[in-house]
Amino acid sequence: MMTKTGLSLGPVLFNWSADRLRDFYARIADEADVDRVHLGEVVCGKRQPFTDRLWPELIDRLTAAGKEVVLSTLALPYNPRERASVRDFCEVGLVAEINDLTALPAVAGKPFLVGPFVNVYNEGAARFLAGRGATGICLPVELPAASVTVIAAALPEVEFEQFAFGRLPLALSGRCYHARLAGLHKDGCQFVCDKDPDGLAVDTLDGQRFLAINGIQTLSHGFEAFCPAPDELARLGVRRLRLSPHTCDMVAVSRLYRALLDGKADRAETLAGLRALNLPGELVDGFSRGEPGSARVEMA
Amino acid sequence: MSIELVCPAGTPAALRAAVEAGAHAVYCGFRDETNARNFPGLNFSPDEMVEGVRFAHAHGAKVLVAINTFATAGAMDAWKAALANAEKAGADAVILADLAVLDHAATHHPNLRLHLSVQAAAATPEAIAFYADTFGVKRIVMPRVLSVEEIAKLNAAINVETEAFVFGGLCPMTEGRCSLSSYATGKSPNLTGVCSPPEHVAYSEDRDGTATRLAGFTIDRFGAGEPAGYPTLCKGRFAAGGKTGYLFEDPVSLNAASLIAALVKAGVTALKIEGRQRGKGYVAEVVRTFRAAVEAIDAGGTEVEVGRLLAGLVEGGRQTSGAYKKTWR
Amino acid sequence: MADHFRGELPKALRILAAPAGLLPLGPALTLAVRRFARRKPAVFERLGTYGQCSFLIEPSDLDISFLMVPDGVRAEVKCLRRRASQPADVTVRGPLLVLLGLIDGTFDGDALFFNRAISVSGRTDALVALRNAIEDAELTPADFVGVTGTLGRLVDRSVFGGLGLARRFTGSPVAGEPS
Repeated sequence: MMTKTGLSLGPVLFNWSADRLRDFYARIADEADVDRVHLGEVVCGKRQPFTDRLWPELIDRLTAAGKEVVLSTLALPYNPRERASVRDFCEVGLVAEINDLTALPAVAGKPFLVGPFVNVYNEGAARFLAGRGATGICLPVELPAASVTVIAAALPEVEFEQFAFGRLPLALSGRCYHARLAGLHKDGCQFVCDKDPDGLAVDTLDGQRFLAINGIQTLSHGFEAFCPAPDELARLGVRRLRLSPHTCDMVAVSRLYRALLDGKADRAETLAGLRALNLPGELVDGFSRGEPGSARVEMA
Repeated sequence: MSIELVCPAGTPAALRAAVEAGAHAVYCGFRDETNARNFPGLNFSPDEMVEGVRFAHAHGAKVLVAINTFATAGAMDAWKAALANAEKAGADAVILADLAVLDHAATHHPNLRLHLSVQAAAATPEAIAFYADTFGVKRIVMPRVLSVEEIAKLNAAINVETEAFVFGGLCPMTEGRCSLSSYATGKSPNLTGVCSPPEHVAYSEDRDGTATRLAGFTIDRFGAGEPAGYPTLCKGRFAAGGKTGYLFEDPVSLNAASLIAALVKAGVTALKIEGRQRGKGYVAEVVRTFRAAVEAIDAGGTEVEVGRLLAGLVEGGRQTSGAYKKTWR
Repeated sequence: MADHFRGELPKALRILAAPAGLLPLGPALTLAVRRFARRKPAVFERLGTYGQCSFLIEPSDLDISFLMVPDGVRAEVKCLRRRASQPADVTVRGPLLVLLGLIDGTFDGDALFFNRAISVSGRTDALVALRNAIEDAELTPADFVGVTGTLGRLVDRSVFGGLGLARRFTGSPVAGEPS
């Protein structure tokens, strides 16, 4: 007997204005076919003062619409304010997703989720975190299917999740690349990353599409489009997929994936649907196949 | 307590060179995917490790064995063997990053001293206390994202030793949190212990000079006679926002020599030199220079004196003090 | 491909360095490498499967090149006339003095291979493996000639001393250059 595969909307990784965030989540609450929504600033602590005051109203809005709301914590906290925010997020009373082990003391004794920025590369690490209360783990984006299968099989009590849609979060840095490109320092960045709500494309000197920057984060230029058939997911042991928010029609993305997971659309139809959204990047899915992450989606 | 100089050894020959040049400790790894410098032809067999530890101990130096990659799911035996072989060789500590490997070491090798690798990216008192309390970790190799002021504050808030990189290659990305290499090549530090692996590097010459490609992605281009660095993905030139250049990091190496005294004052226990892939001649020269500088500082030498000792390393090449100064960010 | 490298031998010296009869050089080098493999098997163990790769070494300032398969006691070195282009897993091209720097440890992978003092095509990983194996071997010129003891030390000193001088003279890169 299989339970329905979960579909999550991950945290917004980009520097979106309060208005954009409010509008975005209102539509998600009303129309998106996802059962779980992550809120929280994961990438840059400097953005938090602008978004933190939004979360209470959005939590209410989304909860009222029947969505489970999870608070995702900062992936690279280091100053006292950021560390305090990690603690606060874990103590709100909602389930928290930790993206750095800094959050472990704050979730002690509570069930929590583990985000893709925590290094879970094997069943030993997963078992360790499960022993501390992790009930779900979104695995690192570069983890090949062979590893996913082994980890999931070893811990049937944990809900494993895989990053399925959006630019892949590949790296974090102490340095802000948006600021560096603009000739600014991180401490006086003027929040220039807000000009690129899907990240700024990074091309090679030969004009190949390659990466995208988002403040201190580097993402893939390509859009991950992991579109597994239900039986393939079952073989992997993955019980939840994650969609990462972009400026494209995320409601449409959620419906495409829901139909795929419910067996109402096949992979080719889902990919065709994603292509029709005119995404600002090519579709890739190499990581899930144990290949370079930049490997293009092979059309069925 | 005097400061400890931790030096790289990619091969037994480099280990001997580093020890003879005055390293207080060397770090090295086994010749497999258990260490984060898994380059072809590099590293130690278990027998070579035994011999290396014997040599180092005979000269009063320590050996720290890096087992600092993330174990492959369902295939942890190599990591277990590395821990057992390190203990058998008499290693003074192992440098670990993976929760599973730490857990195994703490449970099955209780007498082995544990250090936390930079690959674990533990940068807060909470994360560090977790590793210390849970696994008995005695020393943290600090992520290369903290400024000297932040290191001082961190040291005041934790009960374990800290080790700081002072010289050599510099990752602009937070180590242990980077999948750029696997996005291009399928191999990465966390998956296989390599970044920008040489088997995916190709050079091709055309009208405009030499292109350096990593798995087909052009990561840099050089005109005739223009010097080039090792083709590491994040050190290449790219185009973004209408500009072309070194987007992530200039082709510089870390040199925090001028900050040694400040780091010591900030409570750092050990200074680390990067470069397990570098030659023994280079390692010996850097170690010798840093040892002289460290001794001068221990003896209360002036900044001028220390500066003079390090001048040879500072002049010429393009260097940076990295994140230790906040302007780097 | 750049035809001129920093640190090439001056023309007058090239004539001295060019071996008159090519044919005996290959077998002599083959024997030297095999003899070395018997004395220091660990070096070839370190090479692993890369020992079966073919390395074409082309000193840019000489009219000959070397094709080497460093497979331990089955190693093979051939001496070729430059024009005889030969397929190989990896081709390394650069001034003789710089290539010799690989042997005595003057240069390392970061400072040399990727600093364009030499040019590399083909399997970069095989070359990195070879470089690292040689690095650990603590090879000396005497190892190649197959002499030991006092005589070996004399050979080393004369060749190393000569190499250092020659490098300064020709302006080839020196050790420890940060890349």
